[in-house]
Amino acid sequence: MEGIVLTVHSGIKESSKRRRHFLAKKTEYFWALTFLLPTLLALIVLRITPMISAIYSSFFIAYPGGIRPAIFSGLENYRTVLSDSDFIATVERTFLFNLVINPLQISLSLLVSVLMVQRIRFEGLWRTLIFIPVLIPIVGSSITWQAILQPDGPFNSLLVTLGLKPQLFLNSPQQSLQSITLIASWIGIGYWMMFLIAGLRSVPSEIYEAAEIDRAGPIRVFFKITLPLIKRQLLFVLVADIVANFVLFAPIQLLTAGGPESSTTLLIFDAYRTTYGYGSRNLGATKVVILSIIMICFVALQFSFLREKKVKEIE
Amino acid sequence: MRIRNRSEQKRFRTNWSTTICAALLAFMFIIPAIWLFVGSIRPNNEILATMSTFGWDLIIPSRLTFENYYHLFADLGFGAALWTSFFTSGVTVLVGLFLALLAAYALGVLNFPGRSIVFSFVVISFMMPFEAIAIPLSQVFTKWGLANTYLGLILPGIANGLAIFNLRQYFMGIPKSFRESAKLDGASEPMILFKIYLRLSTPGLINSALLIFVGSWTAYLWPLLIVSENHLQVAPVALARAFGEHASSYGQNFAGSVILSLVPAVAIFALQRHFGRFEWGSEEK
Repeated sequence: MEGIVLTVHSGIKESSKRRRHFLAKKTEYFWALTFLLPTLLALIVLRITPMISAIYSSFFIAYPGGIRPAIFSGLENYRTVLSDSDFIATVERTFLFNLVINPLQISLSLLVSVLMVQRIRFEGLWRTLIFIPVLIPIVGSSITWQAILQPDGPFNSLLVTLGLKPQLFLNSPQQSLQSITLIASWIGIGYWMMFLIAGLRSVPSEIYEAAEIDRAGPIRVFFKITLPLIKRQLLFVLVADIVANFVLFAPIQLLTAGGPESSTTLLIFDAYRTTYGYGSRNLGATKVVILSIIMICFVALQFSFLREKKVKEIE
Repeated sequence: MRIRNRSEQKRFRTNWSTTICAALLAFMFIIPAIWLFVGSIRPNNEILATMSTFGWDLIIPSRLTFENYYHLFADLGFGAALWTSFFTSGVTVLVGLFLALLAAYALGVLNFPGRSIVFSFVVISFMMPFEAIAIPLSQVFTKWGLANTYLGLILPGIANGLAIFNLRQYFMGIPKSFRESAKLDGASEPMILFKIYLRLSTPGLINSALLIFVGSWTAYLWPLLIVSENHLQVAPVALARAFGEHASSYGQNFAGSVILSLVPAVAIFALQRHFGRFEWGSEEK
């Protein structure tokens, strides 16, 4: 008798517990959705809408003046853009620029970071000084470097003092992109240094002590120990740098306007000029879509590094 | 880790030749910034006069003057642009933090099916550099009547993928038992978020606020596209305009650059002093 009552009782308890559990789950889903709603809304308005609008617009051809409605033309714009030798040259230039600037910036940042974690005095001061260019907004640094690279500016006066020939820098088709690289790296090296110093500091010092006991030289230690251990941070920083440099815009728009002789026309500036300078919105949208497809690949790659790194750190 | 390294550094002898290398390198990086700063506080014509010969007068002014700053504010109306920038960035930080808090809590603390997919999708979408999408977005915003409005200026900055990522990371480090015991006491999810998680994550919050602020403060392409009226122009675009019209008025352009740089610099160094080291990306913890 008592036994039966007990089972019935615990049965009720069990089902009410499950019910309560189910209710708790439901409220949790409700709050998750509520909390995510503003972000998802922002995602739709700020990212998905413009993307769809650009893709949609890239399928149409508009007539100048806008009196006749734009007509659907399928992939015609893509055919036009991809058979335009200037555009192909721009894409190639953008990739080449990134192929040079990113490894350059990251290897220099790594070099600076390695120097900063040595047994040096006032390391905080040196690090701050190298970091200061990062704090100058890109408009400000562009203005500063335009003055520095003037034909009769301080950089050339330094070259002359050293017995070298003055250079044209931004005014020469051969040197303009290199000058842009210099400006971007002045900012970028200090920025990525902060990430890499954190990476270098996370290497356990016991490993270095062991290497010291084994009498491994500093170069050997760097290539055999440091580099493999910070590989993941290095890859993350490299991809993040690529993403940033793919959309480098302000110095080009402010200092060279893509010239001289298209030598600094990179993809993002080209899309901007096509849309606003030449007023070809549909072709501009086509270029934006092409740029976005390239960017999405790099961002996905960057995200996978970011995530794996975190998982590793939590472990 | 850092502390242990420090104590080890003390045990070892300072390497002076490496220190000199580091000092030289730091000098190379800082010298253009010094030139910029000195140029802003010396007579305008002196910049042009001294820059073609390499010598000490390149960075040593004959006299100090604030006429470049005066000119910038009195004649070019830089003050109005600065105000627009402050207002825009301030609102962006407040709204952006609120959004990031809610999203980070949902994605890091709450459990629901498909959470990791939603998380990946949200962060990837917002890590996509904004510049890539700015051109079509400005056309969409113009169609919606948001051109030349504060709303149009502010909206794109409010959703910051890295801020969400950072805060989520921070939240995941808070023990789950806090939330469970609060729930037993009858606390609702918003209460747990704002009474417990928010208070325990001040450094993460400051970090995310700075990320959003710097992003908004230095934005150039977006305000260039969405604002055409002068009275609503943000400071970087106003400076770029002044530069476009008077490229050789170095003094005023340098003064504008210095002001634009000082704001995030002061914010970062002040907050760093109070809340520990500021981390740019997601290196903390």
